[in-house]
Amino acid sequence: MSTILSFIAIQNGKPTRSSFEGLSRARHLAAQHGHTLAAVVLAPDASAFTDEIARYGAQTIYTVSDPIFAQHMNAPVVRALEAVIAQVQPALVVFPSSEGVKDVLGALAVRTHAAVLPDVASFDLADGGVEATRPVMASKFYARVRAEGEPVLVSVRSGSYEATESPADATVEALPFSFDESSLKQTLREVVGAATGGIDLADARVVISAGRGVKDEAGQHLVQELADVLGAAIGASRAVVENGMFPATAQIGQTGKVVSPDLYIGVGISGAIQHVAGMVNSRVIVAINTNPDAPIFEVATYGIVGDLYTVLPLLIEELKKAKAVAA
Amino acid sequence: MKFCVCIKQVPDVTAPIQIRDGELAMDAGRVVLNAYDASAVEEALVLTEQHGGEVEVILIGPDRATETIRKALAMGAAKGTHLVVAEDAELDSASVSKLLADFFQDAGADVILTGKQAQDTDAGLGGAMLAERLGLPYATNAVGLAQEGETLVVTRQGDTGQEIIALPTPCLVTCSNDMNDPRIPSLKGVMGAKRKPIDSRPVVDIPAARVRTLRYEPLPTREPGRVLEGEPHEQAAEVVHLLETEASVL
Ligand SMILES: Cc1cc2nc3c(=O)[nH]c(=O)nc-3n(C[C@H](O)[C@H](O)[C@H](O)COP(=O)(O)OP(=O)(O)OC[C@H]3O[C@@H](n4cnc5c(N)ncnc54)[C@H](O)[C@@H]3O)c2cc1C
Ligand SMILES: Nc1ncnc2c1ncn2[C@@H]1O[C@H](COP(=O)(O)O)[C@@H](O)[C@H]1O
Repeated sequence: MSTILSFIAIQNGKPTRSSFEGLSRARHLAAQHGHTLAAVVLAPDASAFTDEIARYGAQTIYTVSDPIFAQHMNAPVVRALEAVIAQVQPALVVFPSSEGVKDVLGALAVRTHAAVLPDVASFDLADGGVEATRPVMASKFYARVRAEGEPVLVSVRSGSYEATESPADATVEALPFSFDESSLKQTLREVVGAATGGIDLADARVVISAGRGVKDEAGQHLVQELADVLGAAIGASRAVVENGMFPATAQIGQTGKVVSPDLYIGVGISGAIQHVAGMVNSRVIVAINTNPDAPIFEVATYGIVGDLYTVLPLLIEELKKAKAVAA
Repeated sequence: MKFCVCIKQVPDVTAPIQIRDGELAMDAGRVVLNAYDASAVEEALVLTEQHGGEVEVILIGPDRATETIRKALAMGAAKGTHLVVAEDAELDSASVSKLLADFFQDAGADVILTGKQAQDTDAGLGGAMLAERLGLPYATNAVGLAQEGETLVVTRQGDTGQEIIALPTPCLVTCSNDMNDPRIPSLKGVMGAKRKPIDSRPVVDIPAARVRTLRYEPLPTREPGRVLEGEPHEQAAEVVHLLETEASVL
């Protein structure tokens, strides 16, 4: 019997939903193959999250508490996870595919002599290895891939699995950690433009995504109003991140984030392959675009050929009416 | 400072590509310099134009990948190294980073730049793996880079904000294409590149890959959607109705 270890990422002071998606999948695999399920969390006070993690069925929760984890820095995260992996000897380590994880995965694989499958859409234990499906070529195709050896590190795209609760009596094990800060060859000077409050894109159930069709403040305002009515997070195409209208953290796509909400509404977005790569797994896709030939309509569940400046105010009104009836 | 940029030749994802018997079938001529690596080359050129120094590139790939090295030389890099492997060589990010690490043990560089990911596999591992093998401090997903004496100041796009990180050289940075718009080589650049040195070395021992691609599969197809007809107010009312009833996402 061996262990499947699931990494719980903390963002804005709480575990991310995609961490629990990974943990839920790990729980199913552990049950299926008779393995133990463990979770690991790094934070200034990691014990604060153990109750929530236990709700998803982790039998052992390893906590590493150190003030250094208040901000993301790759070196201490790599060191801490290396130590946890050395102690737990897991067959498989499951990560949510966040920017923080992408920053450490390669280095951690080298340090732990692990094979690594990044950014997978599904994964399974198979005959002593791990098999996974991952989108390649800007998500034009799936590659079926196989990794050998132990441990295997896997990072999972958000939305690939459901986060489902299954409470367990978890044993919490606080692991000692000391990081010699003088050995840290880099300094984090500051973090700018950090989103506070707002709904995190990767975790959002509804996403409004703005593209170059949004041309001015009036357009930005309409997008914000639509997001407010729906309780949605705001995403963006590269075009409007590049021109400074939307923050870089909002970028969805091959370079940006992968989102898979229940509802994605693309506003003035053409649907370039590199953008679609980041949203094609959304359950329902609505597209609003003046050009009937825009490629976004090929993936849209519902398409509205029209000017966003005309359509959005009407849509916002209709949604307000629907909400009022429902309330 | 000496910058060395790791570059990869990748298929052009906008070209027609099919799956035949689980393998990708495409026009072998439709290849490009990985967009993220092009941004890394651009950034190295900008910094050396401002602060002095030189830019070299290194590529692992088959014979035909020389043209991608020429592209980087035409942009302005001074020299290329080509580690030549067979067309069908099985390489994963781990084996690529191992070959690159062996190269850098001898060659050295003040700053190693890579792309944040290869545009074809989207693996995004090579940079951090290489840094770890060389014991270098590193930063990934850079959207901005500045030089302050012997220190590089990296603006890294993180999950919730941008992290400003100071890295002493030698170090490694992986670059996003959100960093800059790579220059288009001038005719003079293209002509000049023909005379620039490319050091070609056959790779004798390819480290065994522990990650293998078994086959390629099409993405699950989405149900065909529908375009809503009518006047804007009718379209708006209908989409809200459909989202409530048919899709039940409201
Ligand atoms: C390696 C690489 C990685 C990339 N990564 C990403 C990524 O992560 N994310 C990303 O988004 N892009 C990415 N791109 C860029 C991508 O190729 C496109 O350039 C970009 O997505 C285009 O953004 P857009 O749809 O907003 O703009 P455009 O393509 O210019 O489309 C604007 C659309 O708005 C419509 N429109 C105009 N006015 C109105 C109006 N009044 N009402 C309604 N519709 C209107 C137009 O018909 C058009 O279809 C990447 C490119 C490369 C090469
Ligand atoms: N064959 C190669 N030759 C040189 N550099 C490479 C090669 N493959 C990958 N790299 C570098 O590693 C980065 C990340 O690649 P990957 O981990 O495959 O996504 C790329 O952007 C390149 O800078």
